[in-house]
Amino acid sequence: MNDSTFVLTAFAAIGLGTPIVFATLGEIITERAGVLNLGVQGMMLVGAVTGFWATFRTGNLLLGVVVAMLAGAALSAIHAFSSITLRVSQIVSGIALALFGTGLANFIGRTGTPALVGQPSRETFEPLLTGGIANWPIVGPLIFGHDTLVYVSWLVVAVASYYLFHTKAGLTLRAVGEDPASADAAGVEVTRVRYIHVMVGGALAGLGGAYFSLALVPSWQDDPIGAAGWIAIALVILASWRPWRALFAAYLFGAAGRLNFTFQTLGVSVPANLLAMIPFILAIVAMIVLTSGKRARLLGAPAALGIPYSREQR
Amino acid sequence: MRVGRWHVEPRGLASTRVTLLVPLLSVFSALVVGALFLALTGNNPWNVYTKMIDAAFGSSRSVSETLVSATPLILTGVAAAIAFKMLVWNIGGEGQLLMGAIFAAGAGIALGDGTPAIVALPAVVLAGAVGGALWASISAVPRVLLGTNEIITTLMLNFIALNLMNYLVLGSFSPWRDPNATQFPQGRPIPAAGRLPEFFHRLDWGIFIAVAVAIVAWFLVGKTRWGFEVRVVGDSADTARYAGITVPRKIMSVFLLSGAAAGLAGALLVAGVLGKMDPRSLDLGLGFTGIIVAALARLNPLAVVPVGVLMGALNNSGPALQSIQVPSATVTMLQGAILIFAVAGEFFIANRVRRRPPAIPTATVQEDAA
Repeated sequence: MNDSTFVLTAFAAIGLGTPIVFATLGEIITERAGVLNLGVQGMMLVGAVTGFWATFRTGNLLLGVVVAMLAGAALSAIHAFSSITLRVSQIVSGIALALFGTGLANFIGRTGTPALVGQPSRETFEPLLTGGIANWPIVGPLIFGHDTLVYVSWLVVAVASYYLFHTKAGLTLRAVGEDPASADAAGVEVTRVRYIHVMVGGALAGLGGAYFSLALVPSWQDDPIGAAGWIAIALVILASWRPWRALFAAYLFGAAGRLNFTFQTLGVSVPANLLAMIPFILAIVAMIVLTSGKRARLLGAPAALGIPYSREQR
Repeated sequence: MRVGRWHVEPRGLASTRVTLLVPLLSVFSALVVGALFLALTGNNPWNVYTKMIDAAFGSSRSVSETLVSATPLILTGVAAAIAFKMLVWNIGGEGQLLMGAIFAAGAGIALGDGTPAIVALPAVVLAGAVGGALWASISAVPRVLLGTNEIITTLMLNFIALNLMNYLVLGSFSPWRDPNATQFPQGRPIPAAGRLPEFFHRLDWGIFIAVAVAIVAWFLVGKTRWGFEVRVVGDSADTARYAGITVPRKIMSVFLLSGAAAGLAGALLVAGVLGKMDPRSLDLGLGFTGIIVAALARLNPLAVVPVGVLMGALNNSGPALQSIQVPSATVTMLQGAILIFAVAGEFFIANRVRRRPPAIPTATVQEDAA
């Protein structure tokens, strides 16, 4: 039963979706603070390469993950400085980050002796449990058959959801994203809240990147993450800025990535390139149907998203 | 306003000196950051940079290649510049360029071998512009009619166009695929009558078209009533409405022109150096690099030309770096860093930063009041 197409597809979807879960969650937290960071692709790639490098040098997986998160946070700090302190265009700054991060990651991957490119990872994240309950029908592989980081992602989603909607700090965060002037008047340090959450978002993007190079395809190649960072930006909208929805949206995406193979096993031939379009088409349709005009507010889009806050201009 | 020990005050209208100095400093700062990374990884930055300059300008052939690389960047730069000027965040230059290439190659292939150049060449080039504008309209129409945010839609359309291009050549037996390519799928060459003549090594007439488009864009934005209204909308949509400007129509026209310029870039590649829609040569991030060009040119279409040449030189120098065991990604890293500094530099163009508070006492009083 665990060899059935459904189970294999769902299992692969969770694996392929996990890096996107981290990145989407990071972007949700960032956008909830009212900052749009289009640099996810760059932060993920830099996380992927630095995490791979740290593990490659030390053989320590945990260190790789920590380094990847720090690198993602460091990169996002550049964006935080531009968009929060300097208050220049968040859109252009984010794209700058995406381009710089892509270049930096491929640069790091191809320098040094031996260069990282083409190397397999020294350590990789393996399934936590083998045998026993991991062999149970359906729930075995789908619930108990994953590596540590998948469980970490579930935990992070749960924590983020609780934090956003059931804690005072989460309420403060949402207030900063909705109406920074009122939050400021209520004594909230808008700048500090925004910096912290942009950098948490960067750290999660870095972690998502590391999942590619340490778990999903444990090796280093140029541009190993496809368009995952850009997909994460689209998924924030499909998930309407909510963590649990991001989890399932990312898995849906993972399934779409796996569909090509699934169709092959079923003897149906659907061109891979056309399947690859689906997520992007869905995002556009969702954008037009769900978020046009005033509906964006109902959906959960932070009102101050993308707008710099200046105390003097309130 | 105070940021730590620094006092920040709006500059009002910045002087020409400042507006020139800041972009130059952006490039310089990016080179310093690049040098740091190169030195950290055991390379000699000076050797790398001299190699790059040599690869980009060292011989007449390399100058020609630099201008070949600059041609599409000038157009995607113009596309971003005119859109951003009006706060239309068209970040879909990439997809519009690819769609331009698809349309241009499609027109060339449809016309076939018998068509005279006087028909084929304009048809190929214009089809590209139409393709780019149509692709932009998918984002422009919802933006104008429903208020749909164009940032995400243009971004997503890039990846749809990329997959469509790959599908047409690598994933199917469409008319765009060369039926004679048996080894590996390739784009079908367009007829010779649809190709732009070369005049300086591989450099073709496309560079003149690109520069002409930049000049026309500069004239349209800077010197016409239409351009004035566009700039008013960019400054304040409310002001524009009170002044009787039909804002949606302005947004639509700017959006479509922006898409057409990016589409033209794709068409000039097909009609120029490539001669076919070749997925492996078109997936270069030219649309995103156009955003760097526009930002560094401070959205001035005329300044886009020299900045486009600079970015073309950088792109052109990448492969040469591999011969001295330096990754060609150095170029992307430098370009990204240039954009980071250029966008941060906008702050220093808009504001004056001093260590001491402004000397005029009244200003201090106002600050306390605020």
